[in-house]
Amino acid sequence: MTVELYYFQPLGTNSGRVYLTLLEKGVPFIERELQGRQFEHLQPAYLKINPRGQVPALVHDGRVFIEGMTINEYIDEAFAGPPLRPVDPVERWRMRVWCRYAENDLGRCLMMINWNRIVPAFIGARDMQDVDGIIASVPDPDRRRSWRSALEQKTPPAVIEESHRRTRAGALKVEKALRERPWLAGSTYSLADIDFMNFCGMLLRHWMPDLVNDKATPAFMDWARRMDERPAVQEMSRRRTGMPSPPKGAA
Amino acid sequence: MQLYHWEPNGACGRVMIVLAEKGLDFQSHYLDVLAFEQHTPAFLALNESGEVPVLVDAGTAMNESSYICEYLEEAYPDVALMPRDPRERWEARVWQKYVDDYVAASTCELAWQALEAHTFRSRDRAALDASIARIAMKERRDAWTAAVNGYGEEQLRRARERLSETIIRMEADLDRSGWLAGSAYSLADVALFAYVSYLPRVAPDLVNDKTVPAVMAWLRRVKERPGVKAALAMSRRPEPFATAAPGPEQVRWG
Repeated sequence: MTVELYYFQPLGTNSGRVYLTLLEKGVPFIERELQGRQFEHLQPAYLKINPRGQVPALVHDGRVFIEGMTINEYIDEAFAGPPLRPVDPVERWRMRVWCRYAENDLGRCLMMINWNRIVPAFIGARDMQDVDGIIASVPDPDRRRSWRSALEQKTPPAVIEESHRRTRAGALKVEKALRERPWLAGSTYSLADIDFMNFCGMLLRHWMPDLVNDKATPAFMDWARRMDERPAVQEMSRRRTGMPSPPKGAA
Repeated sequence: MQLYHWEPNGACGRVMIVLAEKGLDFQSHYLDVLAFEQHTPAFLALNESGEVPVLVDAGTAMNESSYICEYLEEAYPDVALMPRDPRERWEARVWQKYVDDYVAASTCELAWQALEAHTFRSRDRAALDASIARIAMKERRDAWTAAVNGYGEEQLRRARERLSETIIRMEADLDRSGWLAGSAYSLADVALFAYVSYLPRVAPDLVNDKTVPAVMAWLRRVKERPGVKAALAMSRRPEPFATAAPGPEQVRWG
């Protein structure tokens, strides 16, 4: 049995969600880190694995699995190790709703707030001809447009303001949920917590200390510390490169 | 079990088909979403976003059609609508996620523009604006405002681009077993059927017997299933795919 994971550093978002799931399950895997800034995910070698040119991709006994949320459900079903989905069908429904919210709604907002800064930093000091070539090689048309508009600093202010508004609402939403239940899906730790931490939790703590802190969101902060204490989360932190370490006092 | 729903198309169609396929009894609450019945305080108490469908079961009001279907599969497994092999289950889930992320929003845009945008143009605009202003969630107010104003050419072009890609993928996958995931009918087929059924009507140049014969044959085969027939028969209109409502928002890319 071989398991390989293609992913980006710093570990977080879509790469981090699957990486952490493998660690939590205790599945040994071969690390295939791709250099995002060298656009290795758009090179022919990787496009053979995932023609959509996106990470992560999991290769299990020669078969390729893409789409982080569905990879994680596959890992939980195909491998032994502690279950990462609740047994109760209602809790499982709630888990999936949170996974989707983390990835597609709040996670997007946190990314978009900084998209106009992230993309130029990612592109670095290349001349425009190279950049045009890179963008042309992105397989997905929506992602091509998004890169282009960020490079030209054209993401509309209204879109960024809407992302801020949703982020403020999101901090309240997660706080309310965690006051009702210890984990996002309900009584047990699940893929929902893994996803929320990777898409939203880390960024909220790093970037939005005015929104999430012990006074405003004590239940969220308690959850975040319980996450920090998990051996798999600590292991992922040790293996994360290229990201500033957590602020002092964040334990 | 109670289901709050509109016509058996799109998101509501997915859940109504799964309930019928599994032979599950439920109390039906039909909300006319084109008359904004999903934005009454009573319904907003069940789902703050004012979107149908909502399933009430085990004391919980559940939204998000994709996950309602997975819930029904897990809570009522006797009639199985997911493959057993984890790899095939992954195939079914990837298709469902693709529907949730892209197909649903793109289909609803094309369908709304072709089927209902003109009927809303002839409505009293002040009354419409007042109905929209009462929608609690900004996301849904924005979605309705955009729909009532009519979608722009660029937006519709992108929706068609997505759906062209979708049906090409479907055509390739259907070639393997006649179904989208594994070797049997599954939640993936239900999810796509509930949206792709619109396309021969609203994008006939893209979806027809010449361009995608396997997709067309599959549409006819799914439509003949007793469970699907039973769900479609709950329509209060001559044809559930002759009307449409604003769908979920597109994935936000920035």
